[in-house]
Amino acid sequence: MISNLQRENLPSGMSLKRRDEIYGYLFIAPQMIGFLLFVLGPLIAVFVFSFQDRNLLLGQITFAGIDNYQAMFKDALFTKTLQNSLIFTAGLVPLNVLGGLFIALLLSGNLRGMIFFRAIFFLPVITSAAAWAIVWRFLLQSESGVNTFLQAVGIDGPNWLQEPNWAMVSVIVTRALKGVGINMIIFLAAIKNIPQDYQEAARVDGATGWQVFRRITMPLLAPAVFLVTVLTIIGALKVFDTIFLMTNGGPSNGTMVLVYYIYYQGFQFFETGYASALSVVLFLVMFILTLIQWQLRRRFVFDEQE
Amino acid sequence: MIKKLPLRFLALLFALSLMTGMTLGQDTINLRFTVWTGNEAHLAMLNGIAAAYQETNPNVTVTFVTIPFADYQTKLAIELSGSNPFDAGWMPESLAVPFLEAGTLLDLSSVTRDNPDYNFADLSEAAMSLYLRDDGVFGIPFSTSPELIYFNRDLFEAAGLETPDVLQENDAWTWDALRAAAKTIKDTTDVYGFQSHGQSIYNIHLWHNLAALTRAFGGDIWNAEGTDCLLDTAESRAAIQFYHDMVFVDGSTVPPGTEADFSAGSAAMTIGFLSQSARLGEVSFEWGIARLPEGPAGYVSVIGQSSIVAFQNSRNPEVAADFVAFITNQQNVETMAQFFPPIRASVLNSGAFANANPAVAPEALETSVVPSILNGSLLPTHVEFPKIDLAGRAAFDALWNPEGDVEAVTTAACEAIEAFMQ
Amino acid sequence: MNKNSLHSGSSARWQMPFISNRRLFALLKYFFLILVSIPFIFPFWWMFTTSLKPISDVFGQLTLLPETWLFSNYIEVFQFQPFALHYFNSVYIAVLVTVLTLIMSALAGYGFARIRFRGNSLFFVMLLTSLMMPIEVTIIPNFYLIQSLGWTDTHLPLIIPSVLGPQGIVATFMMRQFFLSFPDELEDAARIDGLGRFGILWRIALPLARPILGTVAILTFLGSWNSFLEPLIYLSNQNLFTIPLSLRSYTDSYGYPLWNIQLAATVLSVVPMLIVFIVAQRQIVNSFARSGLKG
Repeated sequence: MISNLQRENLPSGMSLKRRDEIYGYLFIAPQMIGFLLFVLGPLIAVFVFSFQDRNLLLGQITFAGIDNYQAMFKDALFTKTLQNSLIFTAGLVPLNVLGGLFIALLLSGNLRGMIFFRAIFFLPVITSAAAWAIVWRFLLQSESGVNTFLQAVGIDGPNWLQEPNWAMVSVIVTRALKGVGINMIIFLAAIKNIPQDYQEAARVDGATGWQVFRRITMPLLAPAVFLVTVLTIIGALKVFDTIFLMTNGGPSNGTMVLVYYIYYQGFQFFETGYASALSVVLFLVMFILTLIQWQLRRRFVFDEQE
Repeated sequence: MIKKLPLRFLALLFALSLMTGMTLGQDTINLRFTVWTGNEAHLAMLNGIAAAYQETNPNVTVTFVTIPFADYQTKLAIELSGSNPFDAGWMPESLAVPFLEAGTLLDLSSVTRDNPDYNFADLSEAAMSLYLRDDGVFGIPFSTSPELIYFNRDLFEAAGLETPDVLQENDAWTWDALRAAAKTIKDTTDVYGFQSHGQSIYNIHLWHNLAALTRAFGGDIWNAEGTDCLLDTAESRAAIQFYHDMVFVDGSTVPPGTEADFSAGSAAMTIGFLSQSARLGEVSFEWGIARLPEGPAGYVSVIGQSSIVAFQNSRNPEVAADFVAFITNQQNVETMAQFFPPIRASVLNSGAFANANPAVAPEALETSVVPSILNGSLLPTHVEFPKIDLAGRAAFDALWNPEGDVEAVTTAACEAIEAFMQ
Repeated sequence: MNKNSLHSGSSARWQMPFISNRRLFALLKYFFLILVSIPFIFPFWWMFTTSLKPISDVFGQLTLLPETWLFSNYIEVFQFQPFALHYFNSVYIAVLVTVLTLIMSALAGYGFARIRFRGNSLFFVMLLTSLMMPIEVTIIPNFYLIQSLGWTDTHLPLIIPSVLGPQGIVATFMMRQFFLSFPDELEDAARIDGLGRFGILWRIALPLARPILGTVAILTFLGSWNSFLEPLIYLSNQNLFTIPLSLRSYTDSYGYPLWNIQLAATVLSVVPMLIVFIVAQRQIVNSFARSGLKG
């Protein structure tokens, strides 16, 4: 590359390398300024705020030491919301990742009508999350909607959104239905990129369908699986709208997740200092999960670059 | 061409979006007045009052900003702490104390109590109780809406029952009578007999429901000083058990997790405020109103109260206070009485109020509404209401199933609530 | 369906011993797909039919078709609040965010991938650390920042932080990964032709980056279109609402939902997106497939 560069006409007084550097800085400048202003700055601020007693309504700001963190340990609702966030994530990730993979594999053959089905599974993705939640809130009533169907096949459906455990199941499944389409598309793309001859060659060598899947398809899909898993985990930990619109965090705070609790503390109770301390916890959870992901990735995904 | 177009388009949109955030010119004063109604008739009336104000104060314009009630608390705090705070607005009773204690409300005494033209003595003293603090006047209630029973005449007729207004006339309008009627209606017509407060009764309007019930039974939610939870008293428990039985034993009351709506004809009775009659203009059935039924403790009226306040952070506090005084003067209260039951005795007792609400028969107003306003007890309020609200509702969620244990739940609810009551 | 009619459509490609197996497998696939698609398709059917019912028919038992077809709900959608304006707000914000994100991330992604300058990898690692961080983590300080900038009750906090914040970083990351796999020879050839950096980016790199641009555009657009927490916090004035806030505001003044009108609005919010998707479905999937998006 360097040898090529030397052939170009140099502007007076400035080396080509130098000029290129300036372009480099110029190109990344908007992103880096934005990063400092809207990501790094606020991230530092959230740590600072978490050591303050802040109240939005009173406008007061005083140093509070580790009061907020101490309060957190005594706050049963905090423990519960953290748990709920993890349960939600643990429920959503397998549904969305394996579900997406399963649907993508079903759709990847050359059968007729696959485009039609692909569109159906993608429909909820382009529907706004608010619309999706509103509709499902109505469908998950105790005496109507989904339960009408269940009754028709002889199942007495639960009162979905009024019993804590079922409410959690409901919001997880609603969210999964909303998001599985995007994962399906990513998987379909990845499957399409697998060279057909690999599988053909394996078949010629006498491998069974399962063996082909296990030894050829799956390893080649591993990067996509990781990408989708990471995206789904982030999406699961930041879920807000679905829960806000379907259950308001209830019943008995059974669906109150950490992000919702941050919203509640910050913008309903106006305790923005405490809300910042909760945000720090959310950050740490993300951070730990990210580290784990990178470790796993190193172990399981071999093919980084083609 | 394609290369240039987007940029120009972007610049235009960018400029547009910037403009939306700007306020009007400097010479005129624009008051931002926040309300939670989006009702066209309400807004037309308010704009009419603002126009009248502008006639005498040509440099003042008033913009009414609608914030949905569910977000009112949040948006109010955000706007008040921001760079373009509201000047004045509506305030529900549940938020009055927290916002007053936080010092966000402006003292209006100079333009109201100390202004002889205002006729401050005309305001019902009981209704003013939330807003008289430290020798100041921090708000003027404009609507004291009693909780009333709305009933569907057609369904009562179909079930062959006497209607609540008739029962009330015969001194037989009790919670037991309501329960029996609800059960008969459900059994004969398969329509729910009762829905306490619309669809949100099991969550955001829980306290409305509990207030009406427990007080009729001689209990309450918490004491007047806001220091003790009273839900675990025998009276309150009896009331809550009564309601629980209506839902889960009789099956006559809309249960949690079922969407229904009185105005859709899917419940024969509901508790609502007077101003909700506006929504019943176009329903396909005949309806009527009665006061809340009597309980073991006799008749207790529960009122919801909304007030008009001016905000401390207003850029034009004098103008804001002056407008609040204007909108709550004798003449404008008369105007507003068509939707909002007033606290000015002169208006309440005059024919103006009786004739002002076209949806409700004048005699019903006289027998059910006016006495309810005069003797009403306020919905609960507390300086820590937002926190109590969340903690209490979460505890009550455990009650809303057939196995719900009233004793255990009320004990837990009181424990949760009292954590914020030192 | 009987067995014969199934066989009558068989093509010659399907050779003897496999026919029954393959067909059985295909049938099984269809069966599964139809079963699985019910919860995806049914809400739309229900949303549409209910939006045509009078409020008295909305409650109670589920019916597959409305007994009376009532279009007045759709008129009320616009009378109740300025829904058309909310629609415009959502569309222009999402388009603006998408276009700005594409510009910003193409520049930054290209810069990180193709230009050597001091601090390149340091800056990139800095960005990477916040790749996994959702905006919810910094919503409190961001709120104070937006407030001190005087941006509450404007659309700016829905636009600028979306472009430059975590969503923008994901876009930059995706662009960088794409540009990394770019052949050096193309760039060298362009330089010999006398193109500068901007020229290379505009004439050579971007045209080849269409698939990833498409993917970034779709994800960004959907992200902005779905955005709920930020508008909920930053917007008070009803005229500034976006669709998600608008949908939830179809309630009476006590917060009770007006179901039939709310659902009519929901249908209106969904239909145009459905049409765009059905028309552009192949391009959308292909752009994902060719974007090299695999982690």
